[in-house]
Amino acid sequence: MRAAYTGADMAHRDSCSLPVLAALLGTALSAMAHHGSNVSYHTDQTMTIAGTVTEWEFINPHPQIYFDVKNETGDIAHWAAELLPTPSMMRNMKVGWTRTTLKPGDQIVLVCNPPRAQGAKACLAKELKINGKDWPVAPGGAGAPGAAKGKQ
Amino acid sequence: MRSVAIAAIAAASAWTVSAQAPRDFDPRDLSGHWNRTSRFQTFSNVWSGQGLTQGTAEAPLTEAGKARFEKNKPGYGPRAVPPAVGNDPMGTCDPLGIPRLLNTEVISPHQTMEIVQVPGRMIQFFEWHHDWREVFTDGRQLPPADEVDPNWNGTSIGRWDGDVFVVASVGFDDRTWLDKFGYPHSESMRLEERYRRRDRDTLELTMTLTDPEIYTRPWVSDTKMFRIDREKSKRWDEQIYCVPTEEYKFNQRVRDVAGGKEAKQ
Repeated sequence: MRAAYTGADMAHRDSCSLPVLAALLGTALSAMAHHGSNVSYHTDQTMTIAGTVTEWEFINPHPQIYFDVKNETGDIAHWAAELLPTPSMMRNMKVGWTRTTLKPGDQIVLVCNPPRAQGAKACLAKELKINGKDWPVAPGGAGAPGAAKGKQ
Repeated sequence: MRSVAIAAIAAASAWTVSAQAPRDFDPRDLSGHWNRTSRFQTFSNVWSGQGLTQGTAEAPLTEAGKARFEKNKPGYGPRAVPPAVGNDPMGTCDPLGIPRLLNTEVISPHQTMEIVQVPGRMIQFFEWHHDWREVFTDGRQLPPADEVDPNWNGTSIGRWDGDVFVVASVGFDDRTWLDKFGYPHSESMRLEERYRRRDRDTLELTMTLTDPEIYTRPWVSDTKMFRIDREKSKRWDEQIYCVPTEEYKFNQRVRDVAGGKEAKQ
């Protein structure tokens, strides 16, 4: 699973080496970045990261997930992930996105674009599992109606 | 000779058919919700380096214009920088202003504006940033540019030129950008917008700005195309405000972190 991505991943290896797995999936630039967010991330790379939700902000311009990632020695790193669609775009997916979809304590696994800044603990969400279930973060994404099966 | 005669008869027939067919729309009624369908999310089709907006136009910047352009640090296009170190007014919820609002620079369902025509005014509502502007159509004259205090959306009057609605504006606050690529303008910019309802469902808009301080010649936008969205008014207002407190929090906790700054909880 571990692949060529090394920048930010290497920088936070000390605090969360096991939960963070990186892989190159080759994602295209998204047209949904209202605030130029794409530039802050390696949009041609993805990483997989697991953690425990501490906060969920379902607000404009981009919903945000704040979560804790614990490493093998028990140290906790605070992470943030931004989602590109606006809340109304996410509601239009009609899969149940609301202000209460995520709650503190929920277990998540994120596939996201890593930050360009070395050591930064923020990423751009591409795929999301909440307590083992896929939740699409973009129209047609994993868990979205009509999306390809087999992503569990 | 015979072919010329046939062509003339065919043309006349076509004209007759065209003249007889009633239009199913009023070309002077621009009211409704309009979604941008043309691909450029910017003032003109300049090169962007992005597939969705790449173009070939050149911005005719003056030396002063180039200097202003270099100071603007956008999050999009070939000069894009991480928003944490950029200065796009959007990043702090500052007003986008005219003409940037007219670019309807985002994607569905937010790339939309509503036009309302009432006696003496045409009003445009913009989904993105939940903003609006007024165009006066009561016959008043546009004041001299140097007598107008600069405003985010300028000062605008409108008139009909045949079936083209022409909006003339002066008095723009030069803190706004023309578009998300960071093209500048001065407070002396004059803007002309030309709206034409091509058919029942289609509206086109072409803009020309004149700003000798920043551009060597009048700069003409690409033709923006909009399609009417009759279902829009049946839905609830989405209220896509840019909320400064939310934006500030987002910047502190995510945008700036991704850009390499320390998180502030």
